[in-house]
Amino acid sequence: MAGAFQNMKKPPVGRSEEDRILRVWTPLLLRTILIVAMIVLVVGLILAAIYTPEYFVDRYRAVQMGHLIGREKFATLANRILQRNPHAFLMIGLFVLTLVPLARVAFCFILFIRQRDWSYVVFTAYVLLGLIAGVLLGRVG
Amino acid sequence: MLLILGSLLALAFGAGFIGSLSGLGGGVFIVPALVIFAHMPMTVAVGASLISVVATSAGASVAFVRDGWTNLKVAMLLECATVTGAVTGAYLAGIVPVIVLELLFAAMMLQSAYFTIRKHGDDILAKGAPLAERLDLSGEIPDEAGNLVHYEVVKVPEGAALMVVAGLMSGLLGIGSGALKVMAMDYIMHLPLKVSSATSNFMIGVTAGAGALVFLARGDVATTIAAPVAIGVTVGALIGSRLLPHIKVNALRTVFVIILLLIAVEMAWRALSRI
Repeated sequence: MAGAFQNMKKPPVGRSEEDRILRVWTPLLLRTILIVAMIVLVVGLILAAIYTPEYFVDRYRAVQMGHLIGREKFATLANRILQRNPHAFLMIGLFVLTLVPLARVAFCFILFIRQRDWSYVVFTAYVLLGLIAGVLLGRVG
Repeated sequence: MLLILGSLLALAFGAGFIGSLSGLGGGVFIVPALVIFAHMPMTVAVGASLISVVATSAGASVAFVRDGWTNLKVAMLLECATVTGAVTGAYLAGIVPVIVLELLFAAMMLQSAYFTIRKHGDDILAKGAPLAERLDLSGEIPDEAGNLVHYEVVKVPEGAALMVVAGLMSGLLGIGSGALKVMAMDYIMHLPLKVSSATSNFMIGVTAGAGALVFLARGDVATTIAAPVAIGVTVGALIGSRLLPHIKVNALRTVFVIILLLIAVEMAWRALSRI
């Protein structure tokens, strides 16, 4: 779709407080989350290459055979982080990445509340609940 | 380990790069790349792809929102439909037989190929549907001369219905479903193409995020695959978007269509060979 945006004039950007939330703070936060997630993932891969290269290869082969680790408790993940387990770092990096859409919807939610646009507050709340329901469905399904 | 890591990064980089140039997104190319070249199970490829779609859409859509092309109200309204579809699709991806996923993927590749070659001009409406007017979905865009042109929106329920399908396909197949989303907004709801594209870009991350959360919470995301794929696709998409203004994308359109058709044939063949 990006090709459709070549050689076109920029539309006027709104100057209201709401626009500043959406067009200044949201991109800043989204980029920050993205960069943090990428740094965590790169650090995790470097740690894996240094400390657990055999485990990485074994896991790769196991995944090729369809053997996934499956559901893990968050407490187990936290413990593995404390033990500086590279794969726990990778999992944290992936979780941080998924905060990007959550943060984006949360900003829209704040925006619509400030605009007192209650129909869209309800729509945005539904989307937020849908994202949370996804986590719950994954845990029980 | 470095050989495996390098191969995954290279595959993902290529998928992100081609996805960015073609405008179809990395997910369309990384799933078949992982299945065909890295011999990964479909579910693993879908989980890794959903994460990478979230990563790439974050960067792409920021600029469109900042510049004012995204119709936020249309996006939030239709996201109710896509998120419902995506969560359902991601849940079903753990149950649906692989043969069905492969056939659906082949069908989506054909739809993407059609989307890539179709010709279309904006059909801006002066009068919107009553529901669209009640929900204040109209907007303004500048024409060639820089004057603001008002556009209206029609057929909201029909567009939302197709968005449920787009979300379902995203959760099931690990793709952004951007081509389907743009077609729903452009063809059915009569939004201008540029607004449809920007709004679709905004929605893709949220739709894929909904599916990715189901996969992550279920433990269906292999970190050894998803991490290098997310990095590779993001870097590939970033470089692709930087090169985009300097490349004659129209000249590459035929190449993209051939690649999509080859993927469709390969995935359909894989599915049929299981029978």
